[in-house]
Amino acid sequence: MRAAAVLRKRLGRGLYLGLVGFVYAFLLLPLVIVVLASLNAGEYLTFPPEGFSLRWYVSFFNSDPFIDSLVFSLWLAFLCMIIATLLGSMVALYVVRFARKWRDQLRLFILMPLLLPEILTAIALLFFYYRIETVLGGLGLEGVGGAFHKTFLGLLIGHVLVTLPFVFLGLSASLYNFDLSLEEAARSLGADKYTTFRRITLPIVKPGIIAGALLSFIISFDLFNISLLLKATGIVTLPIQLFDYVRFEFDPTAAAVSTVSIVITVIAIVLTEKLVGLRSLRF
Amino acid sequence: MRANATLLLIAPTVGLLVGFLVIPYLNMVVMSFRTPSTSQVFAPGYTFANYLKAIFDPDFYYLRVLRDTMALGVTTTAICLVLGYPVAYHLARTPSRFKSILYAFILSPLLVGVVVRCYGWMIILGNNDGLINNILRDLGLIQTPIQLMYNTFGVSVGLVHIFLPFMILPILGAIQSIDPALEEAAQSLGATRLKTIFRVVFPLSLPGVQAGSVLVFVLTISAYVTPILLGGFKVVIMPTLVIQQLLDAMLWPFGAALAFILSFSGAVVVYLYFMATSWFMKGIR
Repeated sequence: MRAAAVLRKRLGRGLYLGLVGFVYAFLLLPLVIVVLASLNAGEYLTFPPEGFSLRWYVSFFNSDPFIDSLVFSLWLAFLCMIIATLLGSMVALYVVRFARKWRDQLRLFILMPLLLPEILTAIALLFFYYRIETVLGGLGLEGVGGAFHKTFLGLLIGHVLVTLPFVFLGLSASLYNFDLSLEEAARSLGADKYTTFRRITLPIVKPGIIAGALLSFIISFDLFNISLLLKATGIVTLPIQLFDYVRFEFDPTAAAVSTVSIVITVIAIVLTEKLVGLRSLRF
Repeated sequence: MRANATLLLIAPTVGLLVGFLVIPYLNMVVMSFRTPSTSQVFAPGYTFANYLKAIFDPDFYYLRVLRDTMALGVTTTAICLVLGYPVAYHLARTPSRFKSILYAFILSPLLVGVVVRCYGWMIILGNNDGLINNILRDLGLIQTPIQLMYNTFGVSVGLVHIFLPFMILPILGAIQSIDPALEEAAQSLGATRLKTIFRVVFPLSLPGVQAGSVLVFVLTISAYVTPILLGGFKVVIMPTLVIQQLLDAMLWPFGAALAFILSFSGAVVVYLYFMATSWFMKGIR
């Protein structure tokens, strides 16, 4: 009787840990498989693999569309990171420190791009850009009107909209936890406002800013729906290029591209972990 | 003076959100009432025809797609909850040294692009030369390949994989905020582990469950990449239909109407879910 109870308890614990292990394996499996497929000599992944080869990477680096898209995506993500971090930090500072009456409403308003499905925002922007182009074009303002429809600027605005809430969340969390008496102490010891901000406030909230910035970079780099509907004429981002490729081709060049994209993400994650700790990332 | 100066901090962002989010959404509402046209994006005048066409289609085609979309959303959410809850509980309570690595394991799939992750599943599930079919064939277990992709199964696997972290993270946060002493108390009073989880931990973690479920549901019913890549053109759900109307058929007003019907239906399901779970959560507020 007792032995049976112990056995049942062990079995239950085994099942529980088994399920947990299974879920971790499930989460990581496709990423591991993509990396293996990119290093595999054969066209298809078999088990055991057919041998090690870098031929798919050679094929990737010889493919102009992929290289162009990679460079384009990195540049777009970089610009998006700068703008989103700047705007997001300013807003977080205002909401936490200065907002009085409308604080909660303002918070919700800034988080709106995160709460609305990305695909709807993409559709809305597509319609809107087209509308500006026709309406302003009709008024003889083609220059302003055409500035957004299928242009880099239009795409960039979409990316900034979607990534801004992440910067805002990361920074407002660290601002809320900020002990205001530290600033008061600096001021009472004779530091002026600017020095206090530079020497006390900034170093303390820096992890939040860095985490938000790196997160906005990663999210922009991987963004799909916005990039699909707002693509600029002539060039597409890496996820779109990859999407178009794997829909019709099955050769592992796509695996090499994917691995490079995974590596870029891993670099950003390791950078975050080293600089500020992964826990500073907020969703 | 001071108040005006601080307003400069939010002016650019508020301007951006009003100009490129609020106005575009209002414009989309208007678009859904425009008269459709075959030669241009829309014709002059306004109409209800787009909504009527979606609802009163002779075969109820659009409503059936809507039903499939909601069903896919509900099943994906349920599977994510069943798989995600034990992981969240384990991570919240484990004394392991590798805790932060486990946390990174949950986060990292979230940070890798959705196309890459779907492509990974395409290599694994591939109908002819996928990894699973290759292994099964080499072992002599099957002669003809099994169809793992380009059907609802493949799409569900992909969706569960992609949205599972969105279920785990809120639940993890909720469980971490529960005092472990409560569990110890329940067990010292004679409750089994399982009973402790079902009667103490789970009810207290309901806010996390609620948040995670709503996130996964909303993300699933608006997913585009996964249904296309893992469903081929065989699995049709609302987002794929909407994008098809916009990019291929160029029927913008109708596409906008479909998008609003999807959003409205999704909001109704979320609202009903909130009502149901809030009733259970009355005790813990």
